Parts: sequence; C-alpha cells; structure tokens
Amino acid sequence: MKKAQIYHYILAIILIVFFLGPVIYIIFSSFKPSSELFSASPTFFPRSFTLDSYVEAFKKGNFLTYIGNSFIVAISSTALAVVINTMSGYALAKFKFKGDAFIMMIILSTIMLPLEVIMVPIFSVLKTLGMYNSLLALIIPAAATPTGIFLMRQYLVTIPDDIIQSARIDGASEWKIFTRIIVPNAKPAIATLAIFSFMWRWNDYIWPLIAISSPKKYTLQLAIANMSGQYGSDYSSILATSAISMIPMLVVFLVFQKQFVQGTVNSGMKG
Amino acid sequence: MKNEKQSLKAYKMKQKIIPYLFLTPNLLIFSIFIILPAFIGLYYSFTDVNLFHMDEFSFIGLQNYIRLFSDKEFLAALGNTVLLVVVTVPIIFVSSMAIAMLIIQPLKAKGAFRATYYWPVMISAIVVGIIWNWILGGQFGLFNTFITKLGFASSDTLINPNFAWWSIVLAIVWSRTGYYMIIFMAALLSIPETLYEASEMDGANKIQKFRFITYPSLRAARLMVFILVTMEVFKTYPIVVKLTAGGPSNATTYTVQYIYETAFSTTYEVGYASSMSMILLLFVTILTAANFFLNKGGTD
Repeated sequence: MKKAQIYHYILAIILIVFFLGPVIYIIFSSFKPSSELFSASPTFFPRSFTLDSYVEAFKKGNFLTYIGNSFIVAISSTALAVVINTMSGYALAKFKFKGDAFIMMIILSTIMLPLEVIMVPIFSVLKTLGMYNSLLALIIPAAATPTGIFLMRQYLVTIPDDIIQSARIDGASEWKIFTRIIVPNAKPAIATLAIFSFMWRWNDYIWPLIAISSPKKYTLQLAIANMSGQYGSDYSSILATSAISMIPMLVVFLVFQKQFVQGTVNSGMKG
Repeated sequence: MKNEKQSLKAYKMKQKIIPYLFLTPNLLIFSIFIILPAFIGLYYSFTDVNLFHMDEFSFIGLQNYIRLFSDKEFLAALGNTVLLVVVTVPIIFVSSMAIAMLIIQPLKAKGAFRATYYWPVMISAIVVGIIWNWILGGQFGLFNTFITKLGFASSDTLINPNFAWWSIVLAIVWSRTGYYMIIFMAALLSIPETLYEASEMDGANKIQKFRFITYPSLRAARLMVFILVTMEVFKTYPIVVKLTAGGPSNATTYTVQYIYETAFSTTYEVGYASSMSMILLLFVTILTAANFFLNKGGTD
C-alpha cells in the first residue's frame, strides 16, 4: 500500500468516528439505566444494558399515537406528492399550451418562498380553512413541492413522444396514457421523489409547529421537541424516542441508497 | 364528413384543456398555501394585527418597518444569523469538497464510507439538537468527561454563550456536510480523466492539478453548494430548539426563531412579525436571484 493511501484510510476512519460516533452514543445512552445516564463520569459504552428508557417512553404520553401520526402524515403526503407532481411534470414536459411559461415562472417563484418566510400568514390560512390542528394541514400543503415538479419534468422530457402519439392514435384516453405509459416509464424518478418526500415529512418540524396544537395530533418530531426536562427521568425517554425516530429513515436509507445519491445530485432537492 | 370535422374540433379543444387539468392540483395548493399567504403576509406587515384579534386591526403604514430598525433584539437576531452564515458556510463548503475528494480515491469499502458520512443528513434537526446537547451539555456530558480526563478544567459548555454559539456551528456542519459532499462527488466524477493524464505528462504536481483542473471544473457545483448552504443556514431554527433553545441569553437566537416567537409566543404581534418575514424574504430573494444568475454563468 502506498503511503498516500494509508493516510486516506486514516482520514476516512477519523471521519467515520466524527459522523457516526454521536449517533452510536445516543443509541447506547438510550440503553443505559438512569443511574448511569446521570453519572458524573459517563462512558461511551453502557456498563449495563436495560430497556427502562423504552418502557418509560411507551408508558408516558401517547407515544404510539405520535408514531402513528408521523406515519400517516409521511405516507399519505408522499403518495399525494407523487401523484400530483408527476401529473404536473407530465403537463410541463409533454404539452405546449397557453401560459406554460407563466406557470413555470409561478412554480419557480414558489422556491423563493420557503415556509419559514410565510409561516405567520399560513397560520391564518389554515384557521380560515378549518384545517388548523388537523393532520390534513400537514399532508396536503406539503405535497406540492416545486423541486418535485422539476425532478419529474426533467425526467419525463426524455420519454419519446412517439409512444404517447401512437397510444393516442390507438384511441387511449389521456388519463390512460398517463397511468399506463407515463407512470411506468417514470419509476426511477418517482422512487427518488417518494424517498425524499418521506424524509422531509418524517423529519419535519416547522409545519407541525405551526399547524398543530393538541398533543393528540403531535407528530414524533413535535412530540420530541415538546418533551421537557433537561435532566431527570424525562431525559431517558427523550433519548429512547429519538433513537426510535431514526429507525424508519435508517431502513429507507439502507434500501434506497442509490436514490438518495441520485436525488441529492439532481439539483439539490429541497422540501 | 361534417361529423368527423366536429369531433376533430372537439378533440383539439380537449387536448388544449388537458395540460391544465394535469396541473390543477399542484397549482391549487401553491395558490392557497404559498402565494396567497405571501400576499397576506405582505398585507399584515403594514398592520397591527395581533394573534388574538385576527379580525380587528388597523393599517399602520410603515410603522412596523420603522420599528424594526430600532428593535435591538431583532437586529441582534438578524446580525447573529448573518454571522452564522459567514462562519458556517465556508466550513461546510471546504469540508464537503475535501471529503468528496477523499471519497473518490481508490479505497476499499468506499461505499460504506460514503454512506456513513451521509447518514446524519437523514436525522431530523430536532434529534440532531438532542444528540449534541446530550454530548456537549452539562455535567453529564461526554465532552466534559473527556476534557477533564485530558487534564483540562471542566467547562461550563452550553451555559457559555460562545461555546453554545459554536456548538450550533458544529451541529450544522455535522448534519449537512454529507449532503453537499455528494454534490461535489458527482461533479468530481464527471471531470474527464484525460485532463489529469495530460497534466501528468506535462509534469504537474498534485497542487497544480487541483488548482488548474479540479477547482475550475467544479465551478457549477461550487456555486450551487455555496448558494444552497447559504439559504439553508439563513433559515436555521429547528436545530437550535433542543440544543440551546436560543440561549443562553439569546446568544443562539436567529431570525426565524425571533419571528416565530414574536407571532406565536411572546407578544403575539402577527403584523410586526410579518414585517420581519418580509426582511427575511428580501434576503432569500437576493440569494435565489444570485443563485439563478450565477448558475447560468456556471453552466458554460
């Protein structure tokens, strides 16, 4: 092995410690008994393993409700996002129509309006529509993402017009063309969009913060953020809940690594 | 014959409507939840609307904006945000580029390294805050144990404004570097190998290769990363929630948190908070416009 290569390995391993160490530490901590959690000289590895923190977390509050809410929001918002963003991407990729440039401009301009900028008036819009404090407020608005439309449009442009035209000549309806030809051909882009959308919704904090008030409707992130107590038994359930909240993303990541890389490369997806 | 013509006409009409139908759901959501709120926000910013009196308020002209310029807390939060951007962006920029260059070297288990560095990207900002709070904070933190073992005095860590401020930088860098690493990695891999081979024949050393081939070739990626990170750091808030909660004594309070609290938890002045949002929007718009123009220049 060349000298330079040895340095590369050493550096790569130091970086692993930096990026992975903190996550492992929090997971180990969630298995420590509280006597050890609040010891004056904590160790990286637990001296004894216990599930106390998890039992505590399950007993306290509506832990399962929060997880359920997070899954409902992430899955239904993602399903909706895939359907409507693919539809829009198709319209913009394969049709010429009056105002297409204008519509493109509107979609572009929405990128400039991140939620953080409009969170105050969004609150009043949700109130007026009667959507305040309902999971629908987390599912529907978040499903329309400008980056999702762009991703789909860029991908669908590459589908040859011939297949669409010949289907039209065969008398297929537009909706049938969309579901039978466009959607199956767009699978890789749809997978990327679905994975990113799931991650955005699962990890979301600002939307639930603005739209939800009653603890029964909390998502996991909102629930964790609202768990109080720097010290004491509360902290052990915070650790356990945090550890559990990372599992779905870990699974999704391990299965769909390729799509993550692809989605990141494509224009820096932002939800 | 006439019938056919009519049906052709009907068909053409239908074809004209179809793209709009496909666009309708998205445009509806955009209009109601993005464009409409943006205009309402602009309108609110000229009023004294309060969270508890959303129906009765009066138009007060530019008063909110005038007040902003003498609001020490807001200016402090805005200044703090700008400082955070100025410090954090270069760190992420350099580290993600450097790690991307490492990850494209011929290493065994390259994929595993890449996946590990990317992993924090997928952890929610709230949990990132919890992780670093747990490591850095208080007397039970791993950090304090570690430095006392090294012979240093135990630190007051997150109670110290400076320490707290840098802990936010650390948490942002830790959780976002992997993302930008991937963008740089893709750009690095698209540089033609022949460029390097040719430069080797000319006797170029490593530094020269970086300076004259790698760095210029990354132009588009550099601009994209630079703007994306800047916009992202500008909106910093969720990562702060469980790490420092904006403290100690507002040392880590940034613009978004200040806006949120003004509208929803301290004075409930929705109108005033809206004027702050407009200032934030101004910054974001400048950045987006810069991104747009610079990226056009970057694709040459």
